[in-house]
Amino acid sequence: MTILARLDRWKEQGAISADQHTHLAGLSRREPFSIFLELNLLLYAGVVAFVVGLGWTVTTWSRQLGDIVVLTVLSGILGACSWYCFSRAPAWSPTETPASSPIFDYVLYLGSLVWCVELAYLENRFHVLSGQWDLYLLLSAGLFFFLAYRFDNRFVLSLALSSLAGWFGLTISRWPSHQDAEYRRYALLYCLLVGVGGTVLERRGLKPHFFGTYLNVVANLLFWAVLSGVFDRQGYGLWFFALLIACGASLAWGLTRRQFAFVAYAAVYGYVGASWMLIRGVNDLTAVLSYFAITAIVMLVVLIQIARRFGRPE
Amino acid sequence: MRLYSASSEETLRARQLLTDWANEGFLTKEQYQRLEQETVSELRTTNIFLRLVLFFFTLVTVGAAVALFFVGSGPSEQTIGVFLLIFAVVCYAAAEYSVFQAGLYRYGIEEALVVCSVGFLCAGIQFAFFSDSPYSPKLESLVPAVGAVLSLWIWRRFGLWYAFLAAMIFVAFLPGYWTSSHSAQHLIVAGFYAAGLVCVAAVRSRHRFDYLDDAYSLVEAFLWLGIYLAVNLQLSSFKLPTQWWSGPRAASEFARPFYWTTWVLIWCLPPIVLARGVRKKDRFVIAVGAIVAVLTFVSNKPYLGWVRHTWDPIILGILLTGVAVFIRRWLDAGSSGIRHGFTAERLSGKDKRWMDAGSAVFGLLTPQSMTPAPQTGTKHFRFGGGASGGGGATGDF
Repeated sequence: MTILARLDRWKEQGAISADQHTHLAGLSRREPFSIFLELNLLLYAGVVAFVVGLGWTVTTWSRQLGDIVVLTVLSGILGACSWYCFSRAPAWSPTETPASSPIFDYVLYLGSLVWCVELAYLENRFHVLSGQWDLYLLLSAGLFFFLAYRFDNRFVLSLALSSLAGWFGLTISRWPSHQDAEYRRYALLYCLLVGVGGTVLERRGLKPHFFGTYLNVVANLLFWAVLSGVFDRQGYGLWFFALLIACGASLAWGLTRRQFAFVAYAAVYGYVGASWMLIRGVNDLTAVLSYFAITAIVMLVVLIQIARRFGRPE
Repeated sequence: MRLYSASSEETLRARQLLTDWANEGFLTKEQYQRLEQETVSELRTTNIFLRLVLFFFTLVTVGAAVALFFVGSGPSEQTIGVFLLIFAVVCYAAAEYSVFQAGLYRYGIEEALVVCSVGFLCAGIQFAFFSDSPYSPKLESLVPAVGAVLSLWIWRRFGLWYAFLAAMIFVAFLPGYWTSSHSAQHLIVAGFYAAGLVCVAAVRSRHRFDYLDDAYSLVEAFLWLGIYLAVNLQLSSFKLPTQWWSGPRAASEFARPFYWTTWVLIWCLPPIVLARGVRKKDRFVIAVGAIVAVLTFVSNKPYLGWVRHTWDPIILGILLTGVAVFIRRWLDAGSSGIRHGFTAERLSGKDKRWMDAGSAVFGLLTPQSMTPAPQTGTKHFRFGGGASGGGGATGDF
């Protein structure tokens, strides 16, 4: 029985009203047909193509164009985007706020990306901060966090998170003897900062719908950092212990909140780490393959139980 | 032919639509709870994350078990081939059994098993029949041919969209065994896809608004994209990145009439695909129409042998944004924001979830290409470098 036939039956049974029937049958027949997603993708692709071209043009032709022209154009676009966003923005609210116009989010995103291009140009041309790229990234991250929370924009929130991560990474890369262990520690510090920050903001009711983005970024970075410790030649025991704790926390969070991405993180990252610990130094190929065949079956059985009990389709 | 009954799949679809409508507020909670009981299916499903993880661990299990079988024994390649053929049968039978017995539906496990069966079958044929014999391209084309046939069968039997994509990829390899002429290879692939398109278009008209409509829509979109890629000589090459770096594919590689016919075709196809998608209100076909239109703009200059300019992406960006804004305004100006049955408003909760996830992921990805790269400490560093820029630009300050 097709969905249209079901709707007819539900209407006859009185389960849905005539108005509901008309509306839902229309949706099932794609009347009207929404191209909301397609238009948004077109806008996103347009903004990205524009900024890529802008960056490429500035890079290639800056000598011919001259500083004044380049900076005037970039500042003009930046100013226009800022004016548009601040003049059209709805009143600030700590909860999720719909954009005031369909292009609003993309104008803000365009402005943020042009800010990156202009900053890169300024530093490369005038060395304002004597090559202190990490400070630019920190400044940009701060600005993007402000904009993301002011205008309720996930694109810019992601820009803020990646700029902050870039600041941590660049700070370490400047050190003459940077090593994996230092990167790892700073990755953990980043996770701690972003995780605590996101949690505090969520608890205070400030754009709580952003929390999922924070959590996913933190979870993946944390697992990568801890796994890299497990793969180290020395001192991996503590990292393995940390991995087990992270997997337990991720699994518990995923099951209680029905966010199965975290169950998947726990299963895959945990399996990779535990497998490395157990087969580290084992040279017998038969033993290694037997390990994978048996443990993968065990994982399947456990996951099937989880799927049967918790994992309904979303 | 299909492993699942139509009523089961139709019930699952009804359940998904009910959930979506309830989330959007089109149904009350009481209505949803009542109607949900009428859409109970015997098929066992799970969410996308568990599905992916189950798929991964099934692949690990099967891969490790098969590798374990061959370890230490050192069999000849033909023996390996024969055993791989047996494993292919075992995997396929296990997939069918898991569906019959446990009612698995897009559960990851049965999907990984059928994927393994295709891989083992192709590898098995190669090892069993062609490992010791002299190279015979026509005979060896049996490998991708069998892969394509089994993938098609799996698509029909299990309804897995990526099995159809796999079949298309196998087909793309076939002409390489039959002829060395590049033009003929392009024509044969396009011919296969066109034949598939005719068949799908004929069949899908019977399934409008039922549970198979989306599946056929996706397949039709793949076929249009396949035809376009086969016809566009600047895109349909495995050496694409190298080719575009060193310069566009020369027209001399193909006969001139053929080359220019394909150029005409890449301009004709986008409007045809878009028109069909719009007429049928088919999301996937519209998306492919938009993609091939952009690809035509991008590949036009290499086709004509013209120099690329750094501002080309700016023009493309303005064009894409302008088109999106124009369509949006045009639709909004209609009665209740609807014109000719189209609206720019969001009607489904799914769209919002896609937007939220997409904006978070794309926002994380794009800064890698936008934000400045870390600089070395040299005082002589110069911005840019535009050696590849047109018009004699050096790109230095």
